[in-house]
Amino acid sequence: MSEMKKIKNLKDFSTSADRFEGANLLCPGCAHSIIVREVLNATNDDLVLSASTGCLEVCTAVYPYTSWDASWIHIGFENGSTAVAGAEAMYNALKTKGRLKQPDRNPKFVSFAGDGASYDIGFQWISGCMERGHNMMHVVLDNEVYANTGGQRSSSTPIGSSTTTAPAGRISYGEKKNKKDMVSIMASHGIPYAAQVAPNKWKDMVKKIQHGMAVEGPVFINAVSPCTTEWKFDPKDTMHITDLATDSLVFPLYEIIDGHELNITYRPKNVIPVEEYMAAQGRFKHLFKDEYKYLIKEWQDRVDEKWAQLNRREEARV
Amino acid sequence: MAKTGWDEFEIGAMLRTFDGKIDDIAGTLQEDRAYSQNSSFSASVADWRIEKPIFSKDFCIDCQFCWIYCPDISIISRDKKMIGIDMDHCKGCGICVEVCPTNPKSLLMFPEQADEESELAKWPAKESKEK
Repeated sequence: MSEMKKIKNLKDFSTSADRFEGANLLCPGCAHSIIVREVLNATNDDLVLSASTGCLEVCTAVYPYTSWDASWIHIGFENGSTAVAGAEAMYNALKTKGRLKQPDRNPKFVSFAGDGASYDIGFQWISGCMERGHNMMHVVLDNEVYANTGGQRSSSTPIGSSTTTAPAGRISYGEKKNKKDMVSIMASHGIPYAAQVAPNKWKDMVKKIQHGMAVEGPVFINAVSPCTTEWKFDPKDTMHITDLATDSLVFPLYEIIDGHELNITYRPKNVIPVEEYMAAQGRFKHLFKDEYKYLIKEWQDRVDEKWAQLNRREEARV
Repeated sequence: MAKTGWDEFEIGAMLRTFDGKIDDIAGTLQEDRAYSQNSSFSASVADWRIEKPIFSKDFCIDCQFCWIYCPDISIISRDKKMIGIDMDHCKGCGICVEVCPTNPKSLLMFPEQADEESELAKWPAKESKEK
């Protein structure tokens, strides 16, 4: 087992040599690459990566360029996770047969996917990987919409959000179904580690990624990734929106160990109202009309209820 | 090596990220890597910018917030010091300016055609806190 990279503070962290390159074609202010950098820099080990179809894949592998300085594969929309699981199975087989050229190197297997490729299209494949117990990590870059193809709704899109296939207008307030609780679903597989992270809490994130890479078995990470194009805010506000998301408890940061031990890893000092989080984004603009104001209250109730539920689960250890 | 266009590669050509062999990428800084023309590092997105960030060393406390939150790996930090901005890869999103905690800010956005020296000469002074 290789040693874990020691990261005490941000200055230590900044000595990392990035393995993700600039001049990718992600939008200015895209949170995807912030998350990817934090994940890749959390370790010094070799990496075997994959990306499912999505913004990250189409923007970082534009022929003849690549932005990845590690083994990286893309196959289809749904099977980024199984590609990495297959590589991991092959690695283990070669290791047992003693046919590895450098057996002392300890590669980490990570697959990246958007919320469309994880919550909807690749759901069955990810579930399979988690169930078979591959030693891999699946990172979801959750921007709550199919941003790559023009902003269609996914099952991660929250209520009231205006998308191109669930537009807000005269008779509709946009998306009508609530977001799927993916972390709980994945934790229910009994996997050793599932967590929700946000790029603004980099230390929490690095800690969770390192823990996830150290444990044996499948790991699921859900990372909030504000999308400047589809959430409709100014590119410079990406980190501000992420702060609002974590501090309003819309994205609570927690981890679930072995499917039952839930720990809340970030408790905001001042919890801000959900209204502030929504007001900062163009996709919720229509909810501030008088006839839809009740939806904001429903939102707040839902977030409070979820937070109370997490607290109860943490206390009860179930 | 001469630059090859996207339609000039042979079918089935193998494109490599680096010229030559690198054994330990995680321990090799970007300036020590031999990037080939197929790494996006050798490309540029500088023409995406409308505004560019300018870095003033005088007030910087090397907190590295700009380094961690830069989406385009454009903040160059070496030996725990912020030393500059990679203008080939910066898309001008302005996140680094937003997260800069110093007073006055060590990074500010200016129009792309602004002259760095003259802007540095008239950098804003420290603002007193309102009571």
